[in-house]
Amino acid sequence: MLGEFEYILITVSAGLGENAYGVAIREEIEAATERKCAMGALYTTIDRLERKGLLKTWMGEATPQRGGRSKRMVRVTVQGIRAAEEFYNTVARISRGASWVESPIGRIS
Amino acid sequence: MNRITWPLVELTSKLLERNEREAVLGDLLETSESAWKGFLDVFGLVFRRKADLWKDPRPWFTGFIVTLPGSYLLMSASLSVSCTYQRLVNHKVFGAKWPTGDEGYLLLLCHIFLLIAWSWSGGYIVGSVSRRTLWASAALSVFPSSYLCCMVPSEFSSRACLFLFLLPAVFGVRLGFRNARISLRLASLLALTITVLMISAWSSRALWILNWVLVLPAWYLVAAAWRSAQNGQPGLWPIRRIRTS
Repeated sequence: MLGEFEYILITVSAGLGENAYGVAIREEIEAATERKCAMGALYTTIDRLERKGLLKTWMGEATPQRGGRSKRMVRVTVQGIRAAEEFYNTVARISRGASWVESPIGRIS
Repeated sequence: MNRITWPLVELTSKLLERNEREAVLGDLLETSESAWKGFLDVFGLVFRRKADLWKDPRPWFTGFIVTLPGSYLLMSASLSVSCTYQRLVNHKVFGAKWPTGDEGYLLLLCHIFLLIAWSWSGGYIVGSVSRRTLWASAALSVFPSSYLCCMVPSEFSSRACLFLFLLPAVFGVRLGFRNARISLRLASLLALTITVLMISAWSSRALWILNWVLVLPAWYLVAAAWRSAQNGQPGLWPIRRIRTS
């Protein structure tokens, strides 16, 4: 099963579609989690997911704003989508009846 | 990115693979992060990459099972060969610390051959089994020298006699690193010759018991060559360089 960060990365990449690459993924993760995302964590996780066949990466176009350097583009594979779906369903199933699902803290206070 | 830190970031990123370096440097330029933050990001990634290598048992095997004890034994053998040479050629005897026995020129030649063969086969394994952590193996091989330097007889003008094994070992590492495959015939011949010579030296009481460990790399080469032959990749005589992925 996927880890938490792996799930976030796959979900964000799937959401970005054709525009999924290092900077865009990192910004989306930071916006969604409200936490800093280290470049080391991002790229090592991308590699790990690619080795598992859940992502596919390739070197994309070079742009002037990147100093003529290429982007590492990311695409979620069918297995990646299945793994993310499995993770989500498991979390949803296990969370049923949990107090923070039934009455979230915001609602109590 | 300022002019001072950017070269530092670029230098650190050289430890990454080419495509990754390209993507990472591009990302940093695009986000226009602070120079110091960019450096920490790249350094963090490099650290993770290097640390990842040690999840594999091979660097541990080459570093702590082959290189560390191997270099100690090879330095001792180098010193022993030097002492025997000094006794035979310059008639210098180094007392009880380094007894050189009654070895003649024949046994000295046998020891020299063994030293070269041990070093070469050990180096080959280190070079071929764990290429990306070669720097760590090289660093570990230095440790025994600090201890053995104290044991060199004072009559020796230089400590270089400890490192007689270095040249064949480096040659072996280089060949192993290039993934040169040894034919089963050559590997078997080498392992058999080493074993026969060691038995002969042992029967003349001219071998330390721990030196038997040094025969293992040669037999490892035989096993590796045999496995390659089984997979339909017979090496040519004497060696052939194969493509690395």
